[in-house]
Amino acid sequence: MKDDCRIGFYICNCGTNIAKVVDAEQVCERIAGLPGVACARAYKYMCSNPGQEMITRDIRERGLNRVVVAACSPRMHEPTFRKALEAAGLNPYLLEMANIREQCSWVHDDPRAATAKACDLAHAAVRRVRYHQPLEKVEASYAPATLVLGGGIAGLTVAVELAEASQPVYLVEREGKLGGNVGRADLTAPYLDSARDILAEKIARAEASPKLDILLRSELVELRGFVGNFRATVRTTGGPTRDLAVGAVVVCTGYQEFDATRIERLGYGRFPDVITSFELERRLRMGRLETDDGRIPRYVSIVHCVGSRNPRYHPYCSRVCCMTALKYGHEIKSALPAAMVTDLYVDMLSFGKGGEDFYRRTSELKTMFLMYEKGDPPRVRAAEPGDDCGLLVQVNERLSGEVIDVPADLVVLMVGMEARADGGDVARTVGISQDRQGWFIESHPKLAPVSTATEGVYIAGCCQSPKDIPDSVAQARAAAAMVLAHVAQGKIEVDARFAEIDPDRCSGCRMCNELCPYTAITFDPDERRSSVQSALCKACGTCVAACPSGAITARHFTDKQIFEQIEGVLAWSSSRSS
Amino acid sequence: MAVRANPHLIEELEKYGAQDVVKCYHCGNCSATCPFSGGTYLFPRKSMRYLQMGLESRLRATLEPWLCYYCGECSDQCPREAEPGETMMSMRRWLTSRYDFTGISALFYRSWRAELIAIVVVALLTGIGLTIFGLTYGDLNVYDGEGAFLPAAAIHRFDWAMAIVLVILLGINCVRMWWFTVGGDRGVRVPLREYLKLAFLVPLHFFTQKRFRQCNEKRPWAVHLVLMFSYLTMLILIMFFLHYLQDGPAINWVAHGFGYAAALGLVGTAIYAVHGRIKKTETHYRHSHETDWIFLGLLALVSATGIIQHVLHRTGQPAAANVLYVAHMMGVVPMLVLEVPFSKWSHMAYRPLAMYLSALREKAVAVESAPADKRAAVAQTA
Amino acid sequence: MEFEPIIVGFLCNWCSYTGADLAGTARIKHRPNLRTIRVMCSGRVDPTFVLKAFAAGADGVLVCGCHPGDCHYIEGNYKTMRRMELLGQLVRAYGIDERRVRLEWVSASEGERFARLVDEMTLELRQLGPCKLRPTVAALANDFDGLSRAVTAQVAASGEVTHG
Repeated sequence: MKDDCRIGFYICNCGTNIAKVVDAEQVCERIAGLPGVACARAYKYMCSNPGQEMITRDIRERGLNRVVVAACSPRMHEPTFRKALEAAGLNPYLLEMANIREQCSWVHDDPRAATAKACDLAHAAVRRVRYHQPLEKVEASYAPATLVLGGGIAGLTVAVELAEASQPVYLVEREGKLGGNVGRADLTAPYLDSARDILAEKIARAEASPKLDILLRSELVELRGFVGNFRATVRTTGGPTRDLAVGAVVVCTGYQEFDATRIERLGYGRFPDVITSFELERRLRMGRLETDDGRIPRYVSIVHCVGSRNPRYHPYCSRVCCMTALKYGHEIKSALPAAMVTDLYVDMLSFGKGGEDFYRRTSELKTMFLMYEKGDPPRVRAAEPGDDCGLLVQVNERLSGEVIDVPADLVVLMVGMEARADGGDVARTVGISQDRQGWFIESHPKLAPVSTATEGVYIAGCCQSPKDIPDSVAQARAAAAMVLAHVAQGKIEVDARFAEIDPDRCSGCRMCNELCPYTAITFDPDERRSSVQSALCKACGTCVAACPSGAITARHFTDKQIFEQIEGVLAWSSSRSS
Repeated sequence: MAVRANPHLIEELEKYGAQDVVKCYHCGNCSATCPFSGGTYLFPRKSMRYLQMGLESRLRATLEPWLCYYCGECSDQCPREAEPGETMMSMRRWLTSRYDFTGISALFYRSWRAELIAIVVVALLTGIGLTIFGLTYGDLNVYDGEGAFLPAAAIHRFDWAMAIVLVILLGINCVRMWWFTVGGDRGVRVPLREYLKLAFLVPLHFFTQKRFRQCNEKRPWAVHLVLMFSYLTMLILIMFFLHYLQDGPAINWVAHGFGYAAALGLVGTAIYAVHGRIKKTETHYRHSHETDWIFLGLLALVSATGIIQHVLHRTGQPAAANVLYVAHMMGVVPMLVLEVPFSKWSHMAYRPLAMYLSALREKAVAVESAPADKRAAVAQTA
Repeated sequence: MEFEPIIVGFLCNWCSYTGADLAGTARIKHRPNLRTIRVMCSGRVDPTFVLKAFAAGADGVLVCGCHPGDCHYIEGNYKTMRRMELLGQLVRAYGIDERRVRLEWVSASEGERFARLVDEMTLELRQLGPCKLRPTVAALANDFDGLSRAVTAQVAASGEVTHG
């Protein structure tokens, strides 16, 4: 144990978020009594400016050389408090956080048990921080080129933005042409401008840009390296396989449509006049809105939420279908003024700019809106001989409790968005994760919506979650801005957390060489010793745990630090500790 | 059993004067502000919903429009300006056309021209008929007594004949209304006892219009009551005491007193309504269907000619009085023959009847749910 | 009063720790028996950590990592999986019930699953009662090298030396 430690302990009330369950004063009192703790304070918001200033002042005035903050998750504010340490001239790695909000006060009701747990976590942090070492960050260069996966509206936007900022871009598209799913649409809601126009402008700019390399019918097969220094292997069907040096990767792989045959009662595949929204778009684009046998439909029934908001298929909302369905109301009415349009919906989500106004205008076109219960989609059947329509759609109408038969000549299914079936392959190749529905996960849903857990890999558009064109474009431009911010710097700071091999203890068994997923460990045959290339190392610690000689140290996650933490969490609460 | 939706229903109702139904997004403000809404009847919102969903059969079976007096508060409160009050009004017109088996009502409501032509034709037939009759059997210069141009006894018989025809027409329509709303509904079974017990509701509501008084705004009720009583008084005078008014020269002051009061009431309310509709002084006067104007026009015409012919008669100008009398009858006959069974005036029968039928429905619901309650009670004790 | 076991949890930074945070943001209540220690990867969890936790008084150890094939470090969790098999033999050798050690996969989106897991394990450990150690293990509590030697010896005895 280190005797010269002067630890400052700070516990955050987080307003009432922590203090209403955890007795912060009691935690403070108990921690204050631990060896090496020079001061222990509670404050209402540690992350606020006065909170941070409290830390920097104490470091300067009381000569603190270690800091423990018991507050929210380190994933939230560790960078904030590290900056506070740096501001006072202390190495940022001399900080440790105890997570007593997300993993304590927010999930426990019993104040006594929660306070005991908070004490243990704080104790462990205090024990651990004593063994923290000042670490220095490592700098690496940042390659200016960017790899963009997917040539839909999001990918095109990223590529065009970057290329027009004079940065080299490789736009990899699996299909033979650019445009993605937007290219399959006719008009867009709510302003009814043409999807083709939106795309044509972007594609023209992409093709005109000398910095932009469009690789059609191509796929990323492998990605090695790390932020600023990726090596991407891209294979082109019937073409060369290329090895590209890129600084960042932006994933814009989009979505696939829900397979409507999965909901049998909708009759898709059984009745030729039951079509998907994409099939309707096609007919609208061709200007031929008719039934399968060439009649002009008098009744058009639009079923919302096909595959979406249904616990059996996808529980989430696909976000674009309501507005698209309202758009169909306009398009059908303008093509066939005599046709009656019925919308069968679950909840009308006409969010966003101009959305509500568009909904009102559509209802003024005498569109009939019937509400059905999610999980109970309408049932389509053939009309009876005397009917003036081809199909009947039976719906349990929720607002009235009536079972209603709606006449229809054409039934349009608003098929929802789902994560692409091959999303898992992409995720594995670039090293990002997927949520339960298969959408790629962002670093933080609000604060870091386009970054991912892998530095240098960004996501934009519908591969992250369903979204409309404005949102996809906004994300794409945000990702482009993130990339440009790094490119402008030309270099990157690599995290100081990496593994180190003590050459004196290394036996040269080479076990770690094979284990390292990043091939960051090289073996020197002359010295018969292994060593770690710090820039490549991601600090997973697998080699550390496996080294039979105990020669590898995970900086900031050393055995000693973790041992202290284990003892810390158990010292007060274990059944054998008292 | 599924109900068939008719996507054209709103378009259909628009021909009856509905406006902006599509704007309604079911916030429920209208039902919250209406003093009559609640319990079994949740209008106007529920009717608005039926309309938007195109549930024609449900709408035909509803009594709700008749339970509304169009105070206009729902329309005032509506955040989307969907005019629920006016929609209820148009539903009453539509329902009237559904009850009417002849189809004339539907024709009149959808085409004011047709109604006007019918009125003119009936008026001309009446005028020609009465003129021929008068010239054949009497003398234009004689107003009453021996050789009168239009003797009271003949007019009296004519009135009764007309009344019988009207009662038959309206009666058939009332039976249809009962069938659509109560009789034909398999889910509703009303014991005969209740029919008899609640029958008093028809005259009660007819004479007092007590429900109308429950609206927050009292003035429309007062005006309507004056109009209704004036009309009723005049009707009784004409049907039973016509000779007191027509025969001279002695004046029966009791009959005349009632007559003058009624005339004053009719003229006053007519002027009030015309002024209101022109200036749009009250919410329920904001929108005027053509049938409203035709109704008011006839009322004004009949009142004016009635008064003038009476004045001419009493001031000793029999020829002019007779001419005006014919003109008066040319207004009265179309008003009674066309307006009462087929248009706006029919509501005098449908409204009190709706009170009666809705009370019956409530009884029927109570009867139906009683055994279930009993079962629940048995289950609990066991 | 009912026995309240203390569980030491090793959660990988990328999936499971994030998942536990998600349980927090979603306010999914669970039992307060877990004491979390964050590691970068479940592959970092050295068998000695587990022995150390028992020696220091834990009643159970929960190791959580990313789902197989979903590791932030490509395949760190596969290594954990193999290592944990060994660990089962190891704790048995020291007289500790195997049910006290669990390896589970919790992704960043599985806050619900994480909470359920903590509750489940707490209930199971309540039934098993406090963990009693042989004096030889208890004595190792503060002796890291001793622990390492014990683990290495056990690994050698099981004949499983390949980690790759």
